[in-house]
Amino acid sequence: MSDYVVEMLNITKIFPGIKANDDITLQLKKGEVHALLGENGAGKSTLMSVLFGLYQPEEGTIKINGEPVKINNPNDANALNIGMVHQHFMLVEVFSVLDNIILGVEPNTAGVLNRKIARDKIVALSKRYGLSVEPDALVEDISVGMQQRVEILKMLYKNNEILIFDEPTAVLTPQEIKELMQIMKGLTAEGKSILFITHKLNEIIEVADRCTVLRKGKYVGTVNVADTTREELSRMMVGRDIQFKIDKAECKPGKVVFTAENITVASKHHKNNAVRNISFDVRAGEIVCLAGIEGNGQSELVYALTGIEKISSGKLALNGTDISRSSIRQRSRLGISHIPEDRHKYGLVLEYSLANNLVLQRYWEPEFQNAGFINNAKVLEYANKLIKQYDVRSGQGANTIVRSMSGGNQQKAIIAREIDKNPELLIAIQPTRGLDVGAIEYIHSQLIAQRDTGKAVLLVSLELDEVMNVSDRILVMFEGEIVGEFNPRETTVEQIGLYMAGAKRDTPSTGTGTIEKTKKQEMGVKSKP
Amino acid sequence: MMTKIRKFIQSPGAASFLASVASICIGLIFGYILLAFINPSMSLYGLGKILFAGASTTEKFAKVLYQAAPLMLTGLSVGFAFKTGLFNIGASGQYTMGAFFALYAGIILKSPWWVALLAAMLGGAIWGAFPGVCKALFNVNEVITSIMFNWIGLFAVNLTLSNIPLILDRVSANRTVNLAAVNKSAMIPKWGLDTLFGSSFMNISILITAAAAILMFIILNKTTFGYELKACGFNRNASIYAGINAKRNIVLSMVISGALAGLGGGIYYLSGTAQFTIVKSILAMGFNGIPVALLATSNPVGIIFSSLFVSYIQVGGEAMQPEFAKEVIDIIISVIIYLAAFSLLLKGLINRLLTWQNTKRDKVFAAGSTSVGDGQQNPQVGAATANKSESDGVTK
Amino acid sequence: MIILANIMSATIIFAIPLLVVALGGMFSERSGTINIALEGIMIIGALFSCLYLNSVSVSGWGAANPLLAMFFAILIAGLSGLIFSLLLALASVSLKADQTIGGTALNMFAPAFAIVLTWAIQGQGQTTIIIPTWVRISQSIFGLTPSKTPGFLETFFFKDFFLTTPIVLLLLAITVFVIYKTKFGLRLRSCGEHPQAADSVGINVYALRYTGVAISGCLGGIGGLAFTVAAGSGFQSTVAGYGFFALAVMIFGNWKPMRIFGAALFFALFKVIGSYSASLPFLPSFTGIKNSDYIYQMLPYIVTMVVLVFTSKKSRAPKAEGIPYDKSTR
Repeated sequence: MSDYVVEMLNITKIFPGIKANDDITLQLKKGEVHALLGENGAGKSTLMSVLFGLYQPEEGTIKINGEPVKINNPNDANALNIGMVHQHFMLVEVFSVLDNIILGVEPNTAGVLNRKIARDKIVALSKRYGLSVEPDALVEDISVGMQQRVEILKMLYKNNEILIFDEPTAVLTPQEIKELMQIMKGLTAEGKSILFITHKLNEIIEVADRCTVLRKGKYVGTVNVADTTREELSRMMVGRDIQFKIDKAECKPGKVVFTAENITVASKHHKNNAVRNISFDVRAGEIVCLAGIEGNGQSELVYALTGIEKISSGKLALNGTDISRSSIRQRSRLGISHIPEDRHKYGLVLEYSLANNLVLQRYWEPEFQNAGFINNAKVLEYANKLIKQYDVRSGQGANTIVRSMSGGNQQKAIIAREIDKNPELLIAIQPTRGLDVGAIEYIHSQLIAQRDTGKAVLLVSLELDEVMNVSDRILVMFEGEIVGEFNPRETTVEQIGLYMAGAKRDTPSTGTGTIEKTKKQEMGVKSKP
Repeated sequence: MMTKIRKFIQSPGAASFLASVASICIGLIFGYILLAFINPSMSLYGLGKILFAGASTTEKFAKVLYQAAPLMLTGLSVGFAFKTGLFNIGASGQYTMGAFFALYAGIILKSPWWVALLAAMLGGAIWGAFPGVCKALFNVNEVITSIMFNWIGLFAVNLTLSNIPLILDRVSANRTVNLAAVNKSAMIPKWGLDTLFGSSFMNISILITAAAAILMFIILNKTTFGYELKACGFNRNASIYAGINAKRNIVLSMVISGALAGLGGGIYYLSGTAQFTIVKSILAMGFNGIPVALLATSNPVGIIFSSLFVSYIQVGGEAMQPEFAKEVIDIIISVIIYLAAFSLLLKGLINRLLTWQNTKRDKVFAAGSTSVGDGQQNPQVGAATANKSESDGVTK
Repeated sequence: MIILANIMSATIIFAIPLLVVALGGMFSERSGTINIALEGIMIIGALFSCLYLNSVSVSGWGAANPLLAMFFAILIAGLSGLIFSLLLALASVSLKADQTIGGTALNMFAPAFAIVLTWAIQGQGQTTIIIPTWVRISQSIFGLTPSKTPGFLETFFFKDFFLTTPIVLLLLAITVFVIYKTKFGLRLRSCGEHPQAADSVGINVYALRYTGVAISGCLGGIGGLAFTVAAGSGFQSTVAGYGFFALAVMIFGNWKPMRIFGAALFFALFKVIGSYSASLPFLPSFTGIKNSDYIYQMLPYIVTMVVLVFTSKKSRAPKAEGIPYDKSTR
């Protein structure tokens, strides 16, 4: 009789064109926290989706408590007491917390909902596991931390014993992450078994008992966390030694290239402002990073800087020229380039060819058009030049329809386009989101190269590792204000985390918070240092 | 040779063409089955009329050409809008407006034909601007707006015509007066085409239409303006990011679309052979532009052919009467449209098949180098990146 | 006063088809499918139910059992609309085709089919299907005798009383209950807001979307019948754009049943005002203009546009509507 509560043996899962899982074996002991580590594209999410019944494996068997089973859909998984918290929450925003928890397992009499029974059960579970939620709040109004607790309660409500977490900490503050780790320990103490997918080594070290590593769809090994090191884990993950600290030259900032003075930007969702009276500058030859949890005004600020949204008040200046009221095109002409946060939504026209996308920011220039007629030959020539220089790979070269290119190459195309404009200020927002380590290294090196040639770079990032390694100066944003400025060499992740969560601030608060007010209630934090 | 054929079949153009041909065949078969249900003994006769009546006499063939011209224009109108991401179901209203402006210019203002045609384009353009503005500025679905304006246009034109006695025929007061009697210069000239084709129906409208098609093709594929319009249609957000004024482009797109449909109205009613009748229902010419555009996948050159086809079977449909209602043709056309909704899917499938092949090839290239890997292969990761950004900025 | 009763009665009569069709549209969109084909569905529902009414009228059974016949007519209208709407469901849900194009195809099919079928049955040129007079419920059913000069209440209730009215109001009540208080309603709404979430808890998104479209077909068909009896001159293969009005009503009502009811009354009022413009002294009568009733005919459409312009920016449509659900893109 094995003490493994879940065994996934020799699982192979194939999608058209790729083998996402290639003969993988994973075993979960009862009551343990087991981490599943790998880079983006390693196959971790796929493997867990197989366990949860979302996909069927081409080969392999799954055993629960020693018995072989077939899991054809989430209902089967649920019947086996397996539950999953997905990376992107599976919550209906306009429903209440209660309705989200009961969806799919609604207590009812002849079809008519009986919410009282559910409410009682939820309150009881909530108390028992220390997961505080408001049953009648709408999901769109509650904080991300509470949303995650709702997802956990969904599993507990269904009496799930085997709990799968897919990248649970991606959207949490360092404090919330600590809370989650505690919650996980509490759950295993009650006999639950946890599998959690991550690519963050610190969390594995902190909370996992054992860790299985996948690389490019294949099984690499399983280790006891107590007996291993971050270096060993990362070597297993990428197959080579990876630099944690990027080697870069000392920052030599020059003149001020860009200033933002007293910027205020209205919010689309709340009557309070999203960006409140922010001032900062970026100098030539430095990388400034706006750090903070998503939803604290970074997006709105960037939209204002690039011209997509208007500023309510304040002044923006590039090399002395006032651009507060300039259009997107004008700002681009004056020398602002930017790499947007969602390459599919904002950065590329997926149905256009690579060539057409590469001139997306320059097609109106005299080089490419004459009296309104596009010079396709010139466009092609330019595209080929960029493709060669930046090593952008695609099926049919410059004529490839961009939709068919890989994410890394799509991002490379965007970077090629934006950097080749030789901008005065390069704004990069989450440039490495969703990419694997090799791509991330490349992009970071490009940003640093820009900075070394004396350009100004403004980076917006949610990844603390990236923030610490790449930037020369860090500005932490919280609730639309800049609450702290740091030199990464002189501070720690924990410090920054405190500022990101609003637990500390260097500048006095200018009034009540704007974004996610329940987030603030949530943290239970008042904005005092 | 075989590889050349295979390459051709795999090209997206071929996929569209094959899909369109399939739609047409299935539509005709469905029509035949319907005929068989209604009147089995005459069903072959009916089918025969549909398939062959258009080519049976030069007279009928001329009618095919003569009706194809306005249809081509409404097809271009709908097709142009499609290319820029909009569904112009309001072509009928714009067509009606165009006809009205043209007749007013020709009959009341006594303008020559080319001025009247310009007026027609103006009328259609104005009418097309309304759905464009509503969508760009107020985010109202352009389909509903266009339908509303189809009706508003119909009533407005009927109302106005009723109150301009000079424009109406003395005998049958619900028609416009015969153009030939009032202002010969407003009639579209024939330039000898009538003798060439042996029918008094023929005039240079077909040339005007062909010119419009070529112009549209050039605009869409060779100009910065076309580049911007298509970018907006494919991805409004990205085009805003690129500094393109998406709102302006949506309006311009609908305006051009409207102008084309309006021109169609002008061409039809300035020919001198048709008189505008005050009716209670929306003119079909505008709606028939939709299958014309869909069959040709909005390609201006293809529209020339698909409009000829639709006009052809319409002539056949009229010839089928009185044994069968000519609405059978509309049924066939609607089946074709229904199938066209899938042909886009079919094309998409074929394209996707091609792209998976390419990414496989891509991986072989990438395997040799240590630079950017293909991190996007896992479909879940792809979906994750695409879905993750909860946009709170740029509106749809 | 009688005029007021006339107006109120007429408003309700014209609001009923808008209401039921808009509710149908709501079911479809709440489950995730945009239903542009409501116009065509109405026509199909009206077509078959009117053919039925005509035939039982000819046979005499209808006049003898008016309420029962009308009830069956309503069933037929709903059933035929439902079956027709499955074509849209097939295209949109299973084949993931463009929902607007699919809907437009059905909208073009329906009136043409209606004309062809009517021709085939009634003979060439006879394109109107006459509706028998006994569909109108008169006082005698309730044991009352109609008075020579009806007062306010009598006019309000009995001037144009059809079985469709109470049935539709009943459907409204059922809809409110089902959408908010049942397991089915909860699941349906989840498919339109976040189908991935629904799928992840084991809900069959495809089946629910089909159901949503089917319900919209059923309600749309009933709406077609309700429209035709309200219009009063028999079925003429058209519903004059009502299917699209219903969509506007649905948007204006923010996809909520009771709001939709209010919106339907609002729009119907504008349609009715035109017909009574002569009797209402405060309305301009455009005496100098020929065919001035066109002005009032335009009014509902113009009002619709104005309303949409003001409400579309802030409207909260079901989040996942119009996006075909594809399991593999989770």
